[in-house]
Amino acid sequence: MRALVVDDSAVMRKMLTTALERAGIQEVDHAKDGQEAVDACKTTDFEIILMDWNMPNMLGIDAVREIRGSGKSTPIVMVTTEAERKRVIEALQAGANNYIIKPFDANTIVEKIKVVIDKAKMVT
Amino acid sequence: MATVKINVQHINPFVDAVHELFDTMLGVAAKRGNPRRLPKDAKPQEVVGMIGISGSARGVVAAGFPKDTSIRVVGKLLCCELTEFDDIVSDGIAEVVNMIAGNAKAKLAENHEAPLDLSLPTVLSGSDFRIESPADCIWIEVPFTSALGEFELRLMFEAE
Repeated sequence: MRALVVDDSAVMRKMLTTALERAGIQEVDHAKDGQEAVDACKTTDFEIILMDWNMPNMLGIDAVREIRGSGKSTPIVMVTTEAERKRVIEALQAGANNYIIKPFDANTIVEKIKVVIDKAKMVT
Repeated sequence: MATVKINVQHINPFVDAVHELFDTMLGVAAKRGNPRRLPKDAKPQEVVGMIGISGSARGVVAAGFPKDTSIRVVGKLLCCELTEFDDIVSDGIAEVVNMIAGNAKAKLAENHEAPLDLSLPTVLSGSDFRIESPADCIWIEVPFTSALGEFELRLMFEAE
């Protein structure tokens, strides 16, 4: 299984990589902004994408729209400090499958990742 | 949209955000000290993560740490022992202040207080630097103690 972590913070990329490994994902690729994520999705099929919102070059929400616009149904989980209700709704409408607000508990994020992956397996 | 003057009531969501961050991601309690208004020439800590606030209110939120504390905080985030201040620690402090500001922004929005926009975080480090601000602005400092060391939250806003 392969995942993509999209965050401009190296520390957050490391933390989320650890969470994915604990959830059973063996390979984790990294992107530092939305554009890198869109580019990565053109060449690689991921089982799950963890996406920050506020990043330089391209926002995470715009990357979600581009990825969905390209026809990819990869589960996308927003992991962001954007905690306002209107942001959550905006992300879900754009095509995100789940939403995790920073700061997060490490165990909670591992469980959410597992749930998203399991749901995707049931659909396919 | 009308401009809202940030006042002392707006400090609590930032203090609550510090508590939540330390409880949730660091597993360490942060104990708040007494807030105080800072003199203009107050010396910053060795490591300061800052985020600008704009939108319906203007100001700055800053989290300041002694260097050793910043290293311990980021090491705790990554569940490893770090020994020196480097790009990873700087990046981690940026993320810490980002989470504090983002969490407080959401709390203020929930209370229908001040809808805010946040800048990207900046981290300053060194032993001899000053942070200047406009004459009509004031800084409020909220000190904290924790098992990882002492640190402080500073908020700058326009005086009413």
